[in-house]
Amino acid sequence: MILLLLFLGLLLLIAIDVPIAIALGAVTVVAVFMTSGVDALPNVALVLYTGATKFSLIAIPLFILAGAIMNSSGISRRLIAFASSLVGFVRGGLAMVTTAASMFFAEISGSAVADVASLGSILIPQMKAKGYPAPFAAAVTSSSATLAVIIPPSIPMILYGVMSGSSVVELFVAGIIPGVIGGVLLMSVSYAMAVRHNFPVEAAFRLQRVAKTFRESIWALFLPVIILGGIFTGWVTATEGAGLAVVAAIFIGGVIYRELDWKKLRRAMIEGSVQTAVVMLLVAASALLGEFLTEQQVPQHVAQSIIELTDNRWAVLALLNVFFLAIGLFLHSAAAIILVVPIVMPLVYAVGIDPIHFGLVVTLNLGIGQQTPPVASVLVTACSIAKADIWDVSRVNIYFVSVLFAVLMLVTYIPAIPMSLVNLLYR
Amino acid sequence: MTISSTNKIRSGAERSLEVIALSLMTALAVVVIVGVGFRKAGAALVWYDEVASILLAWLTFYGASLAALKRAHIGFPKLVQSAAPQVRFCLVICREVIVIGFFVLVAWAGWRVLQVLDGIYLASLPGVSARVAQSVIPIGAVLFIIAELLSFAELWPALRDAVRKPSE
Repeated sequence: MILLLLFLGLLLLIAIDVPIAIALGAVTVVAVFMTSGVDALPNVALVLYTGATKFSLIAIPLFILAGAIMNSSGISRRLIAFASSLVGFVRGGLAMVTTAASMFFAEISGSAVADVASLGSILIPQMKAKGYPAPFAAAVTSSSATLAVIIPPSIPMILYGVMSGSSVVELFVAGIIPGVIGGVLLMSVSYAMAVRHNFPVEAAFRLQRVAKTFRESIWALFLPVIILGGIFTGWVTATEGAGLAVVAAIFIGGVIYRELDWKKLRRAMIEGSVQTAVVMLLVAASALLGEFLTEQQVPQHVAQSIIELTDNRWAVLALLNVFFLAIGLFLHSAAAIILVVPIVMPLVYAVGIDPIHFGLVVTLNLGIGQQTPPVASVLVTACSIAKADIWDVSRVNIYFVSVLFAVLMLVTYIPAIPMSLVNLLYR
Repeated sequence: MTISSTNKIRSGAERSLEVIALSLMTALAVVVIVGVGFRKAGAALVWYDEVASILLAWLTFYGASLAALKRAHIGFPKLVQSAAPQVRFCLVICREVIVIGFFVLVAWAGWRVLQVLDGIYLASLPGVSARVAQSVIPIGAVLFIIAELLSFAELWPALRDAVRKPSE
């Protein structure tokens, strides 16, 4: 009974726009008071504090900081120039450049919103100026940005790793092949649409231009090699890799490129601090709810009820896909991971799904959720840059979202796609 | 209190919280980088993990106050925004009462915990009281309440006018 009241209360508070972190905390406080009385309430402060001191999560602010420093150092411009020299000659070249640059940027930022904000602010106005319709420009930028949560490093993967107790490094490795497949498929859709609508091509392919832009962007391209190489080989942990990313970003921006803009950096760091705090308050509040639900053995009961329906792991994966796609419509990805992952993990283990494989399934589902209104942080950012109506953009974006859905199906039902590199390197 | 004095207090609070957040973010990065350097040099710092985790908690709760001031916490505003002005007015007041009430309770609980921690010190830094580390909970909660009230003061005129208009 108390659990039913707890979930109804949570839904009610979220519906009246109480921030989700506080809604989680408030309903748990009421539940703790009802079950254990007023003497148990000081424990709320202790659990909130310990919930915010998870060492692995330090990687989140540090990757955000590294991304902010790189973004204030002209890196987006260099990556776009390099991508343009590689794929700009194809019809619809700027759309190709958008996806290719997103793939490069994804290796640094780990956040789809950061990706769409930094690349979109340069590429969307360029596409509009060259005659691409604003909804198409917004849609291709928005969907490409989702690659940032699949291609390592990825903030949602770090969150999933901590909430599920899985290896963040293995999750990062598992994201490489699906990320590349997603990028190639998104470019294929852009090309088909470009041919159909006769979008323009950029400059012709010239090897000299490729070499020149490669030289200019080599440090930006080399940075993920150092960081991810260090993490994948076990030389540093994901958190330490994020620290290295900060040092490398300061070195590249300040010493090599000499373009570090302190005013922009200060603004980006403040925004990064706010983003970190928003996610971390959710994590801390979820620790409160998590402790209560664990005491009541809710995850075990959920697992048992579903297993009574089916213990076929493919059917369970299908159910979980539908569930995550549905909550992705209404919840921010961080909130969805924090709320749902601890509850479904006993089920995932019970039916024999590899938690790393499931991590990719969750990340992709929530990546799609970032593209689907009403709650679609990445899509909304792209629309606001393009000054385009969200529904007009969604009508075009449906083709790109279909591609992401196809990648989700591939990842769900062919586990070798995310897991082959993990098995090769770590098992 | 006039609108301009509220604005002055708000911008002062925003600047102060921004300085705190920037300092914590920088300190966190420095501690992790120094920690990695020492570990690779074969002289791992014993306090590295604990101090970095404390800084993360501080960044969480002080940054959360800054996010409250900017109304940046993740929520689901669609239903409230689409409600009629009178209903919206009631829902927003309800929301504010719940948010502030929760942090009043957190501040009280945090204060109670600090009393219990008297005489307990950090594991890796025996000279530093655990009360210093955990003071972030009551202080952060009070700052959150102040930030929430200041940002609500900004929303208030539009909220009030929307309710008055239909009857005028």
